[in-house]
Parts: sequence; C-alpha cells; structure tokens
Amino acid sequence: MMTQGSIEPIVGRYVRTEVLGEACRIYFEEAGHGAPLVCLHTAGADSRQFRHLMCDAAITSHYRVIAFDLPWHGKSYPPAGWEKVEYKLTTQRYVETIRAFCAALDLDRPVVLGCSIGGRIVLQLAHAHGTEFRALIGIEAADYQQPWYDTAWLHRGDVHGGEVCAALISGLVAPPSPAEHRHETLWQYMQSGPGVFRGDLYFYRVDADLRGKLAGIDTARCPLYLLTGEYDFSCTPEDTLRTASGIDGAKVTVMQQLGHFPMSENPAQFRRYILPILDEIRLAKR
Amino acid sequence: MNAASLDEQELSTRFLDAMRSRVNADPHRVWRGRTLTTDCLVQIGSTAFLLRIERGRMRECLTEIPLLCPWTFAVRGTVRAWASLWQDPPPPGWHDLFALSKRGEMSFEGNLHPFMAHLQYIKDVLTLPRKATA
Repeated sequence: MMTQGSIEPIVGRYVRTEVLGEACRIYFEEAGHGAPLVCLHTAGADSRQFRHLMCDAAITSHYRVIAFDLPWHGKSYPPAGWEKVEYKLTTQRYVETIRAFCAALDLDRPVVLGCSIGGRIVLQLAHAHGTEFRALIGIEAADYQQPWYDTAWLHRGDVHGGEVCAALISGLVAPPSPAEHRHETLWQYMQSGPGVFRGDLYFYRVDADLRGKLAGIDTARCPLYLLTGEYDFSCTPEDTLRTASGIDGAKVTVMQQLGHFPMSENPAQFRRYILPILDEIRLAKR
Repeated sequence: MNAASLDEQELSTRFLDAMRSRVNADPHRVWRGRTLTTDCLVQIGSTAFLLRIERGRMRECLTEIPLLCPWTFAVRGTVRAWASLWQDPPPPGWHDLFALSKRGEMSFEGNLHPFMAHLQYIKDVLTLPRKATA
C-alpha cells in the first residue's frame, strides 16, 4: 500500500542499441532482482502497462522485471528521420528489437512475457529463437485473429487519433475491470503518437499471419504459456485454443473477468493467473 | 436480468426511457458530446428510433419516424444483441458494439465519420440502458 511520500521501486533508464542498422535509444523500466522477465506492451501503448507487476513484491523478489517502450512508443523516440517515413512494424523488426534490447542489457536467457502484438511475437520467438529464452508467456496471443474494423480510422486528419484509438479498444477491457484501471489503460492509447497504433497493427494484421508457420516449437526446452481473457473479442479464447492445439506442450489458460489488457486493466485479477506460472518457471529445473 | 427473458417491446421501452431521461442528466456526458450534432437511427430488432442529438444533448428520440426520413448513420442490432449488451455484467463477446458487429449481430451504416469521431460518447449513450442509473 502506497502512502503519502512513498516512492515506488520502479527505476527508468535509457539504453542505446542498433536495430536493423538504425540507432535506437530505448527507454525501459525495471524493478526487482532475479531471473530477467522482459515484458512487451500492446500495440499503440507503452511499458506503463506493467507498472503493477513491477510493484508486486511476490514477483520482484524472484524476478528482475523489465519493460521497455518499443521505438516510436512511450519515451522511446522514433529513429532519426522518422518524419520522412510511414511507421510500419514488421515481424523482422519486432524480433530484432527484442533481441537487440536483451543483448544490450546482457540478459541471460530471459523469460519474455508479451501481450497482444507482444503475444503474437512471443509465438514467433518460440518458433525461431526458443533456445534464447528460459520460458515464453503469450498474453492474448494467437497465430491469427479476424479483423473487426478498418485501421484507416486510426490515423486521419479529421478524426482525433487518441480519442478513436481509445474508444475502439475500450470494448476490449472487461466490463468488471475497476474504473481506475480501465481509464488508465485507455489513457495510454490516447497518448500514442499519430499513426503508431495503426503501424503496429500492420504487423498484427498484414505481416504476421502465423497460421501454419509455427512448426518446430520445442516446449520441453522453452516452456510456452498462453493466457487469454474471456472478454477479449479481438484475440478470442477460441483463437488462443486453436493456436495452442497446434503446439505440443503449450499450456493454455482462459482467464475469467479479464479482457485484452489483463496486467493493466485488472492487476489484482491478473496476478491470480500469472503468479503460479512465474513460480512454475522459477522452480523448474533448468 | 436474463437476456432471453427480454422481448423487443421491453427492450424498446427501456431504451426510450434511457434516451429521454438520462442522456442529458449528466452534464459531463453532454460536454463530451459537444462537437456532435447528428440524426442517428437505432434499431432494436424491427423497432427503429431516431435520435436527434444537438451538441451532445438528446434533443428528441422519435419512435414514429416519418417515411423517407434521412439520418446520418444507423446502428442496427438484433434483439439478442441489445438484450445481451444491456445485461450487467454483459456476457463475454456480447459486451461491446464492435464485439456484436464482429459476430454479425449488429451493423453500422451510413456516414460513419461522426460515429467514429465521437465513438466513446456514442458507446456510452447506447449502453445507458445497462444500468438502472448512471
């Protein structure tokens, strides 16, 4: 319980690295000590989504929880020259950003937890780079999801981007989630740069249809956990169950009373699901 | 409330009550809609309503709609869609306008610019019948 004048354990810093030949200055926050747990935020948002995990002593007493802002997001500026290009996240760029960040911090086989686009890329990491990670956790993750609106609405001159982004995703927050956390989650979307959410969804909708492309995932070497909220109609529980049915050893949980942003929209409910998994990973023989 | 227990007439009465008595009762909601002036058709099953919104205020909610009456955009849903949306809490996958459109139980038609530009306001107004008070 935070009281007047208390300071949270989260510390924020910047790390310099290079991604696909571009110099990047990446903002990250961290708290805790132990095995590295790298957290990947959703499309059009930033690392603030993980503030509750980073203030949970049950987690930070065993894990060094690290969350970074993808370039173009939060406090990570776009690479120099951004004003001359349309932002589009690709599978290759996303994978290489994660690997470059982990290398820059010299992390030894971190656990990676990603939500939404972060959950999709976790599947790609399991497929192509599983040996580099101790375990992978996909929140609201699936190999494919049916689109439910035209992303052109997210970035046009006659509609406020922040307002429409937040209004669209507001339906993905579970109705029972506490009002404070619901609106904090929406605020993240209201603050995203113009076209950034849409650019992230290029990865989600166009570049990273992983159906039929996830062969060879070795869950004995790198355990894979998939957790999806029952109120997520974007990445539905059925999408996740279908994805998991094609991956031997993947462990699936459908989370009650949660939507697309579990760690941010209802942290108390989410920790009921994530704590046992983090304990299982921590206590497993390496 | 059980969604199956509500028929079209009950839902329509509930919707009409909410539109006529509660939209303007919240000054902050009216303020949030201050840049929206539009005529919006809402359809519950086969029952249609015309919402006349002026700068965020519900000017009128018509149940007798003149023939060939124009509107800017329409939100049409099945009886099951509205009955589910207005449960408290609503069932997963039936809890949002876009969840319903994704499953084919709701549609958005016409000029969608004012709809998208004021999406949260419209979602909030159309969800008012969920609770007895708001």
